[in-house]
Amino acid sequence: MANTYKLISSVTVGVGGTANIEFTNIPQTYTDLQILLSGRDTGNGDWFSINFNNSSSNFTARQFFTNGSAAYSYVKSDANEQGVNNNTSTTANTFSNTSIYITNYTSSGNKSYSIDSITENNASTAYQVLSSLLWSNSNAISNIKIIPSGSIFAQYSTAYLYGISNA
Amino acid sequence: MSPILGTLASQFSGKPFSSFESIQTVTVGSGGSSFIEFTSISSSYTHLQIRGIARSADASAGGNLATYIRFNGDTAANYSFHQLAGNSAGAAISSAGANQSLGYVHHAGPRSGDLASTFSAMILDILDYKNTNKFKTVKSFAGHSLNNTQTSRVGLNSVNWRNTSAVTSIQIYQEGNFAQYSTFALYGIKV
Repeated sequence: MANTYKLISSVTVGVGGTANIEFTNIPQTYTDLQILLSGRDTGNGDWFSINFNNSSSNFTARQFFTNGSAAYSYVKSDANEQGVNNNTSTTANTFSNTSIYITNYTSSGNKSYSIDSITENNASTAYQVLSSLLWSNSNAISNIKIIPSGSIFAQYSTAYLYGISNA
Repeated sequence: MSPILGTLASQFSGKPFSSFESIQTVTVGSGGSSFIEFTSISSSYTHLQIRGIARSADASAGGNLATYIRFNGDTAANYSFHQLAGNSAGAAISSAGANQSLGYVHHAGPRSGDLASTFSAMILDILDYKNTNKFKTVKSFAGHSLNNTQTSRVGLNSVNWRNTSAVTSIQIYQEGNFAQYSTFALYGIKV
């Protein structure tokens, strides 16, 4: 059980916000990675993108999504709109709740990962999305960058990177 | 009716090297229960996760009985929810509610009149539960299969509690009351 689930690094956004949340020099000693993200965009962006190892290429995804009034299914071929953030149009002091689970991040094969991500709002419009994603790249993941689609991450946004070991 | 009919001590205390620890488990005993409750939640964690199975004591059949969450005993209309789901008819479902007095975490669980010994399963994540700069947002992934004999469902729900207080107690309710063996386990995730 030792070190089965262990915090690697965390980010709490300070006054003034930040353009992106980045984890660098990720140790290669775990089996899987999980990021827990509580995010809010200071603009009107609903989404965030993710880059691995500073690359935004070779991403594909299948998504099941709702905006609060209808459900949709999407196929994507880029690194954009992988999960959702609250934004300034939503209830004050409210942040998203997102899990990003990356399997076998040190392997030499393509990287499969999943994202379940929700926003909240005391109104009819809010977003829930289930994403299955693939980064077609053989390099081990050592850097993860999360980029909001509208403006910047608001103060008090948080992100926690955990390592999960099967040893 | 007693809200807590069986409480088990932490299963994983004493394993110091993981950031994921069991806090408390509640199992509903014979006679059922109108709700289950976690009280005096420690502030020594960063996030909370609840893993549970639920079945309604309602004697009829047909599923479609909801499970709800409430924080710190707040009964005011301070909750909102949204749902993305699919049911056994193949339909995609989307719904929302504002100014609720409870937060929906699963919309359509099984009843005692449904397929025997079958429960819905759910995982609820509450990030930054003691952060007093944030309202509390819950992500719920829940579902059940009734062997295609009655309505089955899988869903991703969100709940917002419009309060910046640290979460110190959690109540979970079931329409028609919880049936025996419904079980919820509270975990703490550390930094």
